[in-house]
Amino acid sequence: MNDETAEQPTGDGGSVVESGRVSMWERVGDSERSVVALTAIVVAIFPWLFVRAPVISDLLQGYQSLASLILIWGIFALGFNLLLGYTGLLSFGHAAFWGGAAYAAGIFSASVSGSPILMVLFGTLFAVLLAWILGFVSLRRGGIYFSILTLAFGQMAYYLALSPLQGLTNGENGFTDVTVGNLFGFLDAFAAFESIPLNTPVPLLGDWLYIFVGAITVLCVAAVVRILHSPYGLVFKAIRENEQRASFVGLNVWRYKLMAFILSGAFAGVAGSLFVVHGSYVPVESLYWTTSGEIVIMTVLGGVGSMVGPMVGAGVYLYVENVVSANSAIQPYWHLILGLVFVAVIALFPEGIWGIVGRLRDMISTPSPDTEQEGDN
Amino acid sequence: MSIVSQLATILLNGLQQGAIYVLVAIGLSIILGTLKFVNFAHGALYLIGTYLGLLITLTIRVSDGKLAEWGFGQVGLGWGFLPALIIVPIIVFGVGLLMERFVARPFYDRPDTDQILLTFGLAIVVQEAFKILFGGQSYNFARPARTSLGPLELQLSGPISLPVVGTIGIWRLYVIAITAVLVALVYLLIEYTDFGLVVRAGTRDAEMVRLLGVKITRPYLMVFGVGAALAGIAGVVGGTLYAVNPNIGMDVLVPSFLVVVIGGVGSIRGAVVGGILIGLTLSSLVAVAPQWSQVGIYVLAAIILLTRPQGLLGSEEVAP
Repeated sequence: MNDETAEQPTGDGGSVVESGRVSMWERVGDSERSVVALTAIVVAIFPWLFVRAPVISDLLQGYQSLASLILIWGIFALGFNLLLGYTGLLSFGHAAFWGGAAYAAGIFSASVSGSPILMVLFGTLFAVLLAWILGFVSLRRGGIYFSILTLAFGQMAYYLALSPLQGLTNGENGFTDVTVGNLFGFLDAFAAFESIPLNTPVPLLGDWLYIFVGAITVLCVAAVVRILHSPYGLVFKAIRENEQRASFVGLNVWRYKLMAFILSGAFAGVAGSLFVVHGSYVPVESLYWTTSGEIVIMTVLGGVGSMVGPMVGAGVYLYVENVVSANSAIQPYWHLILGLVFVAVIALFPEGIWGIVGRLRDMISTPSPDTEQEGDN
Repeated sequence: MSIVSQLATILLNGLQQGAIYVLVAIGLSIILGTLKFVNFAHGALYLIGTYLGLLITLTIRVSDGKLAEWGFGQVGLGWGFLPALIIVPIIVFGVGLLMERFVARPFYDRPDTDQILLTFGLAIVVQEAFKILFGGQSYNFARPARTSLGPLELQLSGPISLPVVGTIGIWRLYVIAITAVLVALVYLLIEYTDFGLVVRAGTRDAEMVRLLGVKITRPYLMVFGVGAALAGIAGVVGGTLYAVNPNIGMDVLVPSFLVVVIGGVGSIRGAVVGGILIGLTLSSLVAVAPQWSQVGIYVLAAIILLTRPQGLLGSEEVAP
C-alpha cells in the first residue's frame, strides 16, 4: 500500500526513484498477508490505546463506542475509496447504500432475526442490489454527470424512505424498532457463546461489539487488498489513469465501472449494517446527502491515493467531531471549519493527510539529494 | 371545481415551481456547457440571493445565531421587493465574477473530480456561514402586498380571478412572467450577440475558439456572472415561495441538476423544457399522490436517462 501513496501523487520521476529504492516499508506493503496481519494488530491495539492506556487515553479522551464507530466509518471509507481513489469515480450518492443497508438490517432485525451476523449479511445484500440498480442508471453518463446523478438518485432514496415507504421506515422519526440479539444466537456450533450479548466486556478489546466490528474490518481490508492486487483491480486503476486507452485495449470499461460501483456499495452496506448493530437505531438522515458528503470529506481529507488514508481520515473526522469539538467553544463553528479545511486540502494538498505523512516519512528516511525532486511535486 | 380549472391550476403550479428550477438550471447549464466547470456551489449562490433578498425587502428579527448574540436582533433594510429584485442580481453577479476569477479559473486544468470537490466544499462553507449568522431556523419571506418603485406601483400578493382557472394567487403569475422575461433575455443574449456567438462556439469546442485567436477569458467571466445572477434572482423569487433556511441551496441544486440532465447540457431550450417537465411532474403528483411527488422527478430523470442519455435537447457530441 505504500507504493500506492508514492505512485499516485508524485509524477513519473518520483515513482521511478521510489521503486528503485526497496525500503523496509515497501517490502511490508507488498505482501498481502502482512497488510492483513498489520491491520489485525492495529485493530487489536487501537481500543486499548484509545480508551484504556494509562497516559495516552487520558490525553485522547477516547471512549469505547467511538472506537467501534471509527472502524465502521473506516470500512465505509475503505469501500468508497475503491471507487474514488482507484477507479476515479466520484459518487455523491453513497448515503443510499449506507442508509439503505441500515434500514434493511434494522427492519430485518425487527421482523426476522436479531442476529448481528445475519443483519450484516442481509443489509449488505440489499446494498449490493441497490448499487446494481443505481449504478446501472447513473453510469449512463460518465465523468461529471456520474457525480450529479448519484447525488440525485441518493436523494431519491432519501425521499422514498421519508414519505412513500413511511409504513416500512417510520418516516422522519427514523426506524426505532431495531432489536439486536446475541452474537452467535443462531449458530448451534457456537452454543457455548450463544448467550453473549454484544456489550459483554472483554479485557483488552473492550466489548464483543468491538471484536465483531474489528473482525469484519480485517476481513474487509483483506478483501480490498485482494481486489487491488488482482488483475481485475488493475483494470480499475487503468480506467482511472486513462479510460479511453483502457477501452481501446479491449476492456469493457462500463462493466468494470459498474462492478467497482457495486463493490464499493457492498462495503458501504457492510458499514451501514454495522452502524445499526452499533446504534440500534436508523436515523433518516443516514440517507440524506450530508452522509454522502461526510464520506467524501473523510476519504479526501485522509488521502485518496492510498488504502490507509481514507480510514485515517474517517478516524480523524469522527475524533474531531465527537471529542475535540464536542466540549469546546468551536462547536458551533465545527462544520464551517471543516468546510474551510476541506477546501484548503483540495486546493493545496490533494493527497490528503496520509499523503503528507508519507511525504514527511520520505523526507526523514532519505536525506539524499533526490528528496528535493520529490518535494517539488 | 371543474376538471378544466383543476388542470389549469396544476399547470400553473407546475410552471411556477419549474420556473425556479429553470432559472437555476440555465446558469448551471451554460457554465457546464461553456466552461466545462461543474458548480456544486451554484445552490450557494441561490442561498445568498435569498438571504440578500430577504434582508433588502424586509426587516427580520433574528432570534437564534451569532447575529442575535452580537446585538443585531433586528436586521434588514425594509426597502421593499422591487429594489431587491434589482439589487440582488447585481451583487450576486459580482459574487459570480469573483468565483470565476478566484475559484473556477485556477481549477480549469484540474480533474473534474477536484472541481466538484472544491465547489462542494465551498457550498458547505457558505451554508454553514449562514447557519452561524442567522441560525438554522426558517424565516418567512413575506412579500408586502404592494410595492412601489418611483411611479410604478404593483400589487404583489392576493388572489386574482382568471377566466378558466378561477381564483389564483397573483404572485404565481408574476413568478412565471419574471422567469419568462429573464429566459427570453438570456436566450437573445446567447443567440443574437457577438458575446453569445463566442459562448456557443466555446460550448462546441473551446480549444478551437482559442486557436482562432478569440480571447475567451472575458466571455467566460461573463458566463459565470450571468449564471450567478440568474441563481440570485431565482433565490429572491424562490425565497418568497418556500421557507428560507440554510438548507435551501442544496435543496434547489439537486432538482436543478436533474433539469440540466433531462434537458441536455448547454442548451437553454433544454433547461426550459426540463424545468417545465419537472415542475409539471411535481404539481400533478402533488394533486394525485402527494407522498410520491418528490420521488416522481427522479423516476422521470431515470426514464429519460435510460432512453436518451444525452438529454432531451442535448447533442451527442457534448456527451462525454
